[in-house]
Amino acid sequence: MLYGLKDICRNTVGLSSRSDVLREYEFWAVNDVSFEVRRGESVGIIGPNGSGKTTLLKMLNGIFWPDKGKITVRGRVGALIEVGAGFHPMLTGRENIYVNAAILGMSKAETQAKFESIVEFADIGDFLDTPVKHYSSGMFVRLGFAVAVHCEPDILLVDEVLAVGDEGFQNKCFNKIGQLREQGMTTVLVSHNMTAISNFSEKVILMDKGIAHHFADVADGVKKYHDLFKNYGDATFKKINSGNENITFFDESINARVLCPGDPFCISVEYDSVLQYNDVKIELVILSSHDPGAYFQATNQAYGKKIDLPKGRNRLTVAIEDIPINNAMAEVIIVIWTKSNELLLWWRIPVEFKGMIYATGNNFLKARYEIEAAQ
Amino acid sequence: MNERSRVTNGLREAITYEPDNSLKKGYSAIFREISKELKANRWLIFQLFKRDFLAIYKQSFIGIMWAIILPLVTAGTFVVLNGAGVFNAGSISVPYALYAVLGIAIWSLFSTGLIAGANSLVTAGALITKINFSKKSLVIASMGQIVLSFSIQLCLVVVLLAYYRFVPSAAIVLIPLLVIPLVLFTLGLGFMLSLLNSILRDIGNMLSVLVTFLLFLTPILYAKPTAGVLAVFTTYNPLYYLVVVPRDLALIGTTSAWNGFVLASALAAGIFLICLIIFHLTETRVAERV
Repeated sequence: MLYGLKDICRNTVGLSSRSDVLREYEFWAVNDVSFEVRRGESVGIIGPNGSGKTTLLKMLNGIFWPDKGKITVRGRVGALIEVGAGFHPMLTGRENIYVNAAILGMSKAETQAKFESIVEFADIGDFLDTPVKHYSSGMFVRLGFAVAVHCEPDILLVDEVLAVGDEGFQNKCFNKIGQLREQGMTTVLVSHNMTAISNFSEKVILMDKGIAHHFADVADGVKKYHDLFKNYGDATFKKINSGNENITFFDESINARVLCPGDPFCISVEYDSVLQYNDVKIELVILSSHDPGAYFQATNQAYGKKIDLPKGRNRLTVAIEDIPINNAMAEVIIVIWTKSNELLLWWRIPVEFKGMIYATGNNFLKARYEIEAAQ
Repeated sequence: MNERSRVTNGLREAITYEPDNSLKKGYSAIFREISKELKANRWLIFQLFKRDFLAIYKQSFIGIMWAIILPLVTAGTFVVLNGAGVFNAGSISVPYALYAVLGIAIWSLFSTGLIAGANSLVTAGALITKINFSKKSLVIASMGQIVLSFSIQLCLVVVLLAYYRFVPSAAIVLIPLLVIPLVLFTLGLGFMLSLLNSILRDIGNMLSVLVTFLLFLTPILYAKPTAGVLAVFTTYNPLYYLVVVPRDLALIGTTSAWNGFVLASALAAGIFLICLIIFHLTETRVAERV
């Protein structure tokens, strides 16, 4: 509060506000970020919450002015930051279109020329003439988006609002944005949806606590983003259970800790057992950092394969032929249960899967390509 | 300080944002920027005004008539008090009801205009932090509502004129012109207060109290006192001239305070320009703190 007053007074009197010096309780939300975006390019900005992405976007929009440094923008800027900006619940959809369009910078002539197109895009039918307070949230967003998308700016700034509306509407939005991009519109997209970032951006800026890291390769940037969330301090072998009084597992050997999609993963473990265990259940579970919660699984029971662990010193080898995980950290968990569901082995092994070139998807599949002459 | 500069570069203008001393560029550049912005935003101002207008008067049975109720009630109270002898308005040559209603109507331009202006940025706070648009338009659009209410109150005055069969001077048609200095004064202060209010919310809260206080201190509902502290205060109170002189000219045709009115108008114009410039130089700070 006092800082605000001080700033205003200094600006008024004509003194520089010495904004490049931090005062107590202040911190740099965006610190020393420099980049260039050329016409028609599209950039994705990703990062954890609170890293300065939206602040950066607002600076590009001209809402905040930089305290240090310079921003040069050439062309009309449009923002999809708040859908339905300026909508008043008491006004009808029709009236709100005019208000919203004016706030976004469209002139009277422009609004009138595009009015029909906006109404058609929003596709809310007769509800256009009812007060907006009666709209469902979906209709609200459709109308807001319809106006914003028709702004047709030279530079489009999008802040995490791509996932709105139902699927049909989402497709319409993507198509319209794609159309505008073909006409040379520049896009800056902030999102947590890595698929959208991969589909939309040609390069990526990763923000972390106000500092920017630039990546010309989107897949690389996405991977670094995922890495930020992995507390691989425990990226070590974790052995929760290595046997019981009758059997001990030791001396594991793994073919590689860094794999490419499609590589075989092979773990072999030596054990020493006093008893013979018949019909054990062996499971391999693979967790990928792309999709926490989902997992790949291989279990011998699914194949109807009965496995017995003979007593004495033996070596058990389990191999998976073709793991399709692309560009992620993963954990392979090997678990062995006895027939009576007693836990014998529970080990977790971190594995890194490198990225496949040109492939940005979470999982990489091999395909076969054939061309035949057709008569 | 922060500077905006527009440079025509081929087909597209380049906008630069950087911290710098805007005043180094000189006042002429600032004036050009401001007038360009205002010209470009006429449609936006109209839309904002229309939005607020529709929002107030839809779903309202009394609708536009609300504009009349406040001055009617305030003036009416004083008419009753005056008639009962409780309140001595001094020597007034026109029917007191007319005197009070027209006086309050003009005063409302200032009082409601100031409060509306001061709150205009705060109420649109959510919008300001998300979209970059002309903040001056918000303040000006809020004043538009007040001017509209004033025009409706003038209709009430016409009704009263007919009721009292009172013939005003020919200057009554000049009222729209005569209140322009007051509007400028209010708008200027509105710019200043809206800035400060967005940072110190106390200001908005205090304002209605302050304005009521001023109403009683300024001789609008009573004749100008001739002696004492109040007389001295009134001589230097620009509001007195800006409100009372248009009323006197409209109802009576002559006024003794013309010189004061001219000075007050000059002051109003000066305040308007200064506050507009201050607003222009600092408006982006609002987005940081509103």
